[in-house]
Amino acid sequence: MSTPTLDKHSAALDAAENTAFEQITITLRVRRFNPEVSDEVTWVDYQLEMDPKERVLDALHKVKWEIDGSLTFRRSCAHGICGSDAMRINGRNRLACKTLLKDINPEKPITVEPIKGMTVLKDLVVDMDPFFQAFRDVMPFLITKGNEPTRERLQSAEDRARFDDTTKCILCAACTSSCPVFWNDGQYFGPAAIVNAHRFIFDSRDEGAEQRLEVLNDKEGVWRCRTTFNCTDACPRGIEVTKAIQEVKRALITRRF
Amino acid sequence: MTRVERHTYDVVVVGAGGAGLRAAIEAREQGLRTAVICKSLFGKAHTVMAEGGIAASMGNANPHDNWQVHFRDTMRGGKFLNHWRMAELHAKEAPDRVWELETWGALFDRTKDGRISQRNFGGHEYARLAHVGDRTGLELIRTLQQKIVSLQQEDHARCGDYEDRLRVFQECTVTRVLKDEETFRAEGGRGGRVAGVFGYVRESGRFFVIEAPAVVLATGGIGKSFKVTSNSWEYTGDGHALALLAGAPLINMEFVQFHPTGMVWPPSVKGILVTESVRGDGGVLRNSDGKRFMFDYIPDVFKEKYAQSEEEADGWYADPENHRRPPELLPRDEVARAINSEVKAGRGSPHGGVFLDVSTRLPAEEIKRRLPSMHHQFKELADVDITAEPMEVGPTCHYVMGGVDVDPDSAAATGVPGLFAAGEVAGGMHGSNRLGGNSLSDLLVFGRRAGLHAAEYAAELDDDRPRVSAEQVDTAAAEALRPFSVEGGEPGAPGVPAENPYALHQELQQTMNDLVGIIRRAGEMSEALHRLGSLRERSRSAGVEGHRQFNPGWHLAIDLRNMLLVSECVARAALERTESRGGHTRDDYPEMDRRWRKTNLVCELADRSGELAAVDPSAGQIRLSRRDMPPIRGDLLALFEKDELLKYLTDEELGT
Repeated sequence: MSTPTLDKHSAALDAAENTAFEQITITLRVRRFNPEVSDEVTWVDYQLEMDPKERVLDALHKVKWEIDGSLTFRRSCAHGICGSDAMRINGRNRLACKTLLKDINPEKPITVEPIKGMTVLKDLVVDMDPFFQAFRDVMPFLITKGNEPTRERLQSAEDRARFDDTTKCILCAACTSSCPVFWNDGQYFGPAAIVNAHRFIFDSRDEGAEQRLEVLNDKEGVWRCRTTFNCTDACPRGIEVTKAIQEVKRALITRRF
Repeated sequence: MTRVERHTYDVVVVGAGGAGLRAAIEAREQGLRTAVICKSLFGKAHTVMAEGGIAASMGNANPHDNWQVHFRDTMRGGKFLNHWRMAELHAKEAPDRVWELETWGALFDRTKDGRISQRNFGGHEYARLAHVGDRTGLELIRTLQQKIVSLQQEDHARCGDYEDRLRVFQECTVTRVLKDEETFRAEGGRGGRVAGVFGYVRESGRFFVIEAPAVVLATGGIGKSFKVTSNSWEYTGDGHALALLAGAPLINMEFVQFHPTGMVWPPSVKGILVTESVRGDGGVLRNSDGKRFMFDYIPDVFKEKYAQSEEEADGWYADPENHRRPPELLPRDEVARAINSEVKAGRGSPHGGVFLDVSTRLPAEEIKRRLPSMHHQFKELADVDITAEPMEVGPTCHYVMGGVDVDPDSAAATGVPGLFAAGEVAGGMHGSNRLGGNSLSDLLVFGRRAGLHAAEYAAELDDDRPRVSAEQVDTAAAEALRPFSVEGGEPGAPGVPAENPYALHQELQQTMNDLVGIIRRAGEMSEALHRLGSLRERSRSAGVEGHRQFNPGWHLAIDLRNMLLVSECVARAALERTESRGGHTRDDYPEMDRRWRKTNLVCELADRSGELAAVDPSAGQIRLSRRDMPPIRGDLLALFEKDELLKYLTDEELGT
């Protein structure tokens, strides 16, 4: 095996690092709220030198690390898998870690605020408890009868494909908090919970569809959906949320799934 | 005495990734009252980022596969430094854990006849990784989360309380493992049984104590101590540090895995992972000359197993029986070093990586079907269409092989009754280098074992429960509150501004990246230890403003203690081991040395009382010692050809 012998500060690496940056000035307009200090919400502008290929999350980090360490937001994996940093950016629900500055016109102020329809705890952090309660209410787990198999249950590629789309959900709440019905009625289950019910209703291994459909037949269930497609537009995973809701509605009428 | 919220449970699990949730489910299934504590929201753990799959020798793709083959691959990948008993248990139990996950509802890609499909991965002789596209970790976490919801609904149906036997405390951080008053005193402030944990609620800043005789650490890794890393923000080495502070030793801390393929461009996403499945499904590595360079980097120990020509390598994907594997699928340490060498020799890509190309290897539709997340990731973050052009990739800090020294069967930490550890925070299983896919299986196998044995331990205590002293709670609270009262400079000295915890963190990451990174040298590591000492002193003046409610600066100031402790372990152990093996490459000692194989480097807290303040800053906080590993059991050795063993074991060990 060859052993590297060149000095670690190689010319090639230095050159790569030096060409890496292209700086522009952006204005990040953040909705700040700190109940300890005041009941009032304030909008604060931050001028930042950023590379347009950086993301809104990087801009938020820059504020937190260099300007105001108290700026509070959730983030975890930082590339769109964990679903922690859904927020309203320029009026649209997105994940801050997947939104490049260049894609949202960095020449104008970029507004960042918490997702709508949920109680704001501090800055961009909202109370997610009601959201997860709706998730739990649709019984999001495999329900089967009879004995457990010793190895795996069989499932054809076709059966598996039937619900592939709705298994991609990362529970970020971008869909639910983009839904006008949910804004006006916090009791509505919301798209994310229905997506997670869909994931089991259409799973060929599951035998609990009837129970779940009854839950969703409730007055706060699928019938509240007005098919505005906000949820589908908001989903950072590209799940066809509205279609999934329609499929659940159809299953309720036909009892076929 | 400090006012704290108090709870009492039988078992407390710190961490809600794959290992933590599997441990919690097991403890609850044993009928014990169990609490899970996690820093993020429930279901957002770092495990969700695992893309490739779960390694288990179910034999669905290749009927020749069995636990012995998996065991052999694991030992080879770890360069025989693995604790052989852990590798054995892991290989034997992984299939059961995958099937169990399937019966709990996990989605898997399927074979034509409807069984769980298995894919190729580096270092695995057969296609072995059960997977869901490239989002296996997400599905694993979701399934365990769903299982917990179902157990809570069972409890509700039984007694009217969802959280009767299993409660998740989300967005909470543990800062200390607490000890039993009596045994703690009797042993002179050292050792003593576990009595619970102390921590704070991130939202309110309020302190809490959970009294419990058994604590399972499942906190994951340490990657946030490095600048370029694929790890998420939680990975600040909390469990490693909690174990040290509680008196438990860490082993193998010099072994840090740099995943060969992280994104290198644009700068803000540098380090984000590009799954090994890209290579498993046909992707190849090329340098700026367009050369498929991995053929030049096949080490002697692997010469017989890997193809020597492009033609032979390309034949393997369709006909693995009659071709040797492509060298792109060597274990991760080998590939990472090769990429590093190419870049340093000036044959890198424009942004300081090499090219990973799948676009000329598979039809566009096939790429989108097999690697949907990668397709999105590059499209969205780098504006690169991986079906049409190559990716630029380079090494990124990915995983720490080192961790808490545990009993292989029970996952019990050495020397601290009641403390258990599973998953990345535990050491031994992966030796000097982990194979891809062995992490998800590890955390299911040993998560279950830790939960089971923690439950048994707690159940056997009956009324003989350990007690938390008020003094310990006061001390832990004072330690956590310290950043609010720091004046700057020398503690208490007026006029000097307090240190910014974010700045300290960035300096720490730069130090570890530059001086204890993928290629190591004695002089640089000594320098790193010196800088860590000064950072440690400065971190005592890390101050924060504001209040305790959701105060991210305060949280980081507390995490810094952990990162500094763990970084010192890595640097000290790496300086001590004068050979290159797996995730530890010495420029000044480039060869693997058989005499080092059976030696574990053990890190313990220098101040044995668990107090950090009393330690001389120049001396460091960690005491290092060497320990021999137990000899590999004969029937396991017999699974290998003697010629191969001679590459790893000394003649003496082989009795020749």
